[in-house]
Amino acid sequence: MLLARVEGNIVATRKHPSLDAWRLVICQPIGKGGESEGTPVIAIDSHGAGMHQQVVISSDGIAARKAIGVDKSPVRWLVVGIVDEHEPGKRI
Amino acid sequence: MKLGTVIGRVTLSKSVDLLKGGRFLVVTPLSREQYAKGIDAKPGMGTDPSLVVYDDIGGGVNDIIGYEEGAEAAQPFDVRPPIDAINCALVDEMFYNPWKG
Repeated sequence: MLLARVEGNIVATRKHPSLDAWRLVICQPIGKGGESEGTPVIAIDSHGAGMHQQVVISSDGIAARKAIGVDKSPVRWLVVGIVDEHEPGKRI
Repeated sequence: MKLGTVIGRVTLSKSVDLLKGGRFLVVTPLSREQYAKGIDAKPGMGTDPSLVVYDDIGGGVNDIIGYEEGAEAAQPFDVRPPIDAINCALVDEMFYNPWKG
């Protein structure tokens, strides 16, 4: 699981059918100080994470497939939670 | 999923049976700087190594695609083929607003 910040979303008409109607958010992995680390990843989001909110994303494909309810889906990253506060750091 | 720019195609004259008839794209992953420029910017090379992605939705050169890496790439098939990256979205629009704080 990675701590990440939501930095946008993408729209795709032509996509794997299992992703229909799912919000695809761009998540930038961050360090403890909020600094960017690495390249962004696209995750499915069922929590309605807002722009620049900090989230925890997981690369557990089994959980992601369970979340969307399609076993034959290539989905891998999902937003597992929205961060309230973390230490060291301050309330977000 | 990660985003990348399609920079080419690969065809295989001889391949594993499970991959017969498959389309393969050469993709360079989008760097953070390229995310900021948007998907209409002039296509360029990212900083990470390029990879070959199995494609069954019809990506073309210079398209921005979303590909999934890892064991999940073989998940859509009845018999799992030996692939570790699959094209799962052709990106039409991207809204990207990097955090500056």
